[in-house]
Amino acid sequence: MNITRRLITVGFAAVMAAGVAMPSFAADLIAIITPSHDNPFFKAEAVGAEAKAKELGYEALVLVHDDDANKQSQLIDTAIGRGAKAIILDNAGADASVAAVQKAKDAGIPSFLIDREINAAGVAVSQIVSNNYQGAQLGAEEFVRLMGEKGNYVELVGKESDTNAGIRSKGYHDVIDEYPDLKMVAQQSANWSQTEAYSKMETILQANPDIQGVIAGNDTMAMGAIAALQAAGKKDVIVVGFDGSNDVRDSIKAGGIKATVLQPAYAQAQLAVEQAHDFITSGKTPAEEKQLMDCVLINADNADKLETFALKD
Amino acid sequence: MRFKAAAFIVFASALALAGCKFVKTADKEKEAQSGAFDPDKLVAEMWQGKVLPYLEKRAAPLPEVLSATAADPDQAGGKYGYKARQGNAPWTFIARVDGVIVSEETKSRAGFVDVDVDGDTKADVRISIGPAIRGTALRDSLDFVDFNSFKNQIEWAQFGKSFNTHVNASLLEKLPREGIVGKTVKATGAYPLPAKGQLPQLVPATLAIGG
Repeated sequence: MNITRRLITVGFAAVMAAGVAMPSFAADLIAIITPSHDNPFFKAEAVGAEAKAKELGYEALVLVHDDDANKQSQLIDTAIGRGAKAIILDNAGADASVAAVQKAKDAGIPSFLIDREINAAGVAVSQIVSNNYQGAQLGAEEFVRLMGEKGNYVELVGKESDTNAGIRSKGYHDVIDEYPDLKMVAQQSANWSQTEAYSKMETILQANPDIQGVIAGNDTMAMGAIAALQAAGKKDVIVVGFDGSNDVRDSIKAGGIKATVLQPAYAQAQLAVEQAHDFITSGKTPAEEKQLMDCVLINADNADKLETFALKD
Repeated sequence: MRFKAAAFIVFASALALAGCKFVKTADKEKEAQSGAFDPDKLVAEMWQGKVLPYLEKRAAPLPEVLSATAADPDQAGGKYGYKARQGNAPWTFIARVDGVIVSEETKSRAGFVDVDVDGDTKADVRISIGPAIRGTALRDSLDFVDFNSFKNQIEWAQFGKSFNTHVNASLLEKLPREGIVGKTVKATGAYPLPAKGQLPQLVPATLAIGG
């Protein structure tokens, strides 16, 4: 028992020594870990972070955890093993990710979180968080206005394991529920998926042909819903999404979806890399760990200015 | 009359508790002990002692704030407003309104009055009169509250909404709604930097409609 423990200790020390000796050739690596790039939002984050990292002279290691906390843990190990100087992370769960970020910190690698927050302070250097709740309230206020404060509507909710699904739904309802003449006739999860939203919407329409609005937790589900509505000949139903994708921008310009809410994915990923660079080069930390990034309402008035999750002035 | 109302509240509470008369108080105590998050209580506790004095002290006449903002929004923000040190929130301005109501919207639940403050009969500011109030301007105007001291953005948002709830219950519900166009109004409140060409949308902390 004692011998085993000593051996492990020795082995661990050797690994640590190797880790310390390694950075001479891996000094400029930044790991960028996000959910799957199938959703253009996460792709924009990765592209934004990678572009900024390269601009500042780093090598970028771009990885995806597919919203799987175990996979995320393995990717953090990879980043540690490769001697990354910093990790940019859009995490796989507010509670499940705390240990993974702590593991990186213990190995001397600072983490800079984007988009989603974790339920712990002092583990990551910064958390640049999309203000999902504020964004949801903007979307809901526009939805209420477009609906004329009355009518039957459907809510499509995101993936339950993702905290942002719950935050957005709560933001929607904190606004919409103040209007008693707006009646929710169905609320279903379509797991952020366009195809699932299409089939769920078809089924909902059979049971509730008399609906005037659909509010969706993200843009891919809004795209699925509008396609099902158009296929059923319902062209006057108000559809509102969330994220600010180019697909929804084009739909707004063509008179399909009425509004969405832009999360500044590209800008916040770049800001995270800038903060990582400051930390690596001078040990400087941001004044506040958690930094809230407000969302912006996109409708026919400003859709023209939207391109790849950024709004041109 | 007052007794009747009180009796009704007691009766309604008893109904809501479905027979567990004494549980509510005990639950409240338990909540308080475990430090459960209660944003309404947080706001109620800071309203008289901290929020109102802060707003009264910081508030400048609206025409002064508007002309400063037109010249240089950032400089005006530093002098007449507040924004979080981190993130990308816009400036929230704190102003005192003294003017005449030129139009009203009371059919919408997000009701408002448009107010002229410079005597040209055109609206210069839109004051929310509820019951639905948009945004979190009151929270965002305060330099002594901070997102980082809250667990997550849901609690921070609930805290923001509680200011609106508080203003509604303590101030706006009692306002007259009929025939108020043409009357004078005095208010102190906060509004986020408006988009170009839009009226400032002020959430009031104090509001009085006169003759």
